[in-house]
Amino acid sequence: MDVVAVDISGRHSVDGAYIMVCASVSVRISPEKIEKTCGVRLVPKTAPSPDLDVVVDLINSATKGFPGVVVAEKGDFYNMERWRAESILGREMKYPESLGERRAIELAHHISFAGRNMLLDLEMPL
Amino acid sequence: MKGEMGTVVLLIRENPRDDPHPEKNEELKGLAKAAGYKVKGLISQRRGRDGKFQLGRGKIEEAMAFGPEKLVFYNPLSPGQVYNISKEFDIPVIDRFNLILEIFASRASSKEAHLQVELAQLSYRAPFVKVMESLQKLSERPGYGGSGSYDISMYRDIKARIAKIKSELKGVEDRGERRRQRRKDLGFDLVALAGYTNAGKSTLFNTLAKEGVSSKDQPFTTLSPTTRALDVKGRRLLLTDTVGFISDLPLFLIKAFRSTLAEIVEADLVLLVSDLSDPAPILREKLVACHEVLWDCGNYAPIVTVFNKADRLSEEEISTRIETVLDLAPSPVTISAKNDQGLGDLIDLVLEKLPPLETFEIRLSTSEDGMGRLSRIYEVAEVLEVDYGEEIVALVKGRPDSIFWALKHPDSNLSFLEGV
Repeated sequence: MDVVAVDISGRHSVDGAYIMVCASVSVRISPEKIEKTCGVRLVPKTAPSPDLDVVVDLINSATKGFPGVVVAEKGDFYNMERWRAESILGREMKYPESLGERRAIELAHHISFAGRNMLLDLEMPL
Repeated sequence: MKGEMGTVVLLIRENPRDDPHPEKNEELKGLAKAAGYKVKGLISQRRGRDGKFQLGRGKIEEAMAFGPEKLVFYNPLSPGQVYNISKEFDIPVIDRFNLILEIFASRASSKEAHLQVELAQLSYRAPFVKVMESLQKLSERPGYGGSGSYDISMYRDIKARIAKIKSELKGVEDRGERRRQRRKDLGFDLVALAGYTNAGKSTLFNTLAKEGVSSKDQPFTTLSPTTRALDVKGRRLLLTDTVGFISDLPLFLIKAFRSTLAEIVEADLVLLVSDLSDPAPILREKLVACHEVLWDCGNYAPIVTVFNKADRLSEEEISTRIETVLDLAPSPVTISAKNDQGLGDLIDLVLEKLPPLETFEIRLSTSEDGMGRLSRIYEVAEVLEVDYGEEIVALVKGRPDSIFWALKHPDSNLSFLEGV
């Protein structure tokens, strides 16, 4: 099953701004593990607040072109029901159920966290 | 199992934004019966959470009209809600987690299980006690002129007891870890039965191990793990029956039963047993709950999904039902543990999924030490060929870690071991 797992790091205020990095990983998963990683993308964004619009834009930019269902933690969509998040995102999405989906999100989490730290260390403009 | 515990009324609140889950009613009824309660009625309400009573006041009054001795809520209650309901309606009140803990307490038989249940109960009660203490302190100050103070040692006592139990359980955990390592060293493959409560794990365990552990059509029949050795087509397995999972399991309960769940996490293979006779949406939800617990435990062992109770369905129903949960079912196999149906397929799949045995050529000196090592090799692996010449050359087949363990010696660097 092809899925695109996403995770956003930096949803906390730093000097009044939210320096966020969204990682998306396009993976082929089995019910228990990741079988193949097909692609990875990092999208940084600085915003005055982590509104739903900002989060959705970020996820849309990060997942654009990757095939499969978007898988994200419920918290990333402010604990919204799946059907509501799906209609706002405009493509098929789900919250993680299987171990494979959870591992994909874990991978995205590590990438977004490390990517954000790296960008901050390098003092790159976000 | 102890006798009747009293009468209860069950209360369930469903979020109006979520889909209805009528199976929750049956699950709560099953849990109440398993705990020994007589259910007088069930009241459900679709509404947002009431901060004071969880459900609306009218629903609790409706429940009180049944004249129960206790109220059981499906939804987790905050310490404040327990305080408010018991004060306002003068009735003991518990939630689903407490009910599960009562079942566990009634079935705990080993010292380890008693400690785990006590730890879970104390972890659950600690925040309640803290809030109760602060609520009582709000109303008045004791002593002449309010200059006295309440004895607030109860919370501290609970915390101290929790720390003591944790250190005792750490010892149990360490012993368990050493025991499992020793079993692996001895060439056994560890296979754990996991799955939602009342899925038929103990029945499958009894069928495979030709044992007679208690297996009943009720939740949480098994609490402490039971392990039996099996010889499956020449491969030595240790099969462990474990406690069942349940949805929305609180983290403190998982933490309390960490030493039991370690049997699953450290296994070489997990047999995830599910009840195929459940309707498709429930089967899916239970599998999701199992995946969640396995994730929380940190399981990395390969999984075989065992769809049990297949005798209750037709061939067509079986394939349709499995189709709906394929994304949650690694290596599925259909069986009926009760009727010994599909067990051959299950055993073949188990052997396929276990780490493969490897063949090594071992060269040992023809000394007392060499003979001693060869003797240990015989205990943990299959010796295919031995040639006693100037040195002993043996062709052995087994788990690499077991063979290394058998050959382990402070002076040896294992350079005489060659993979074939």
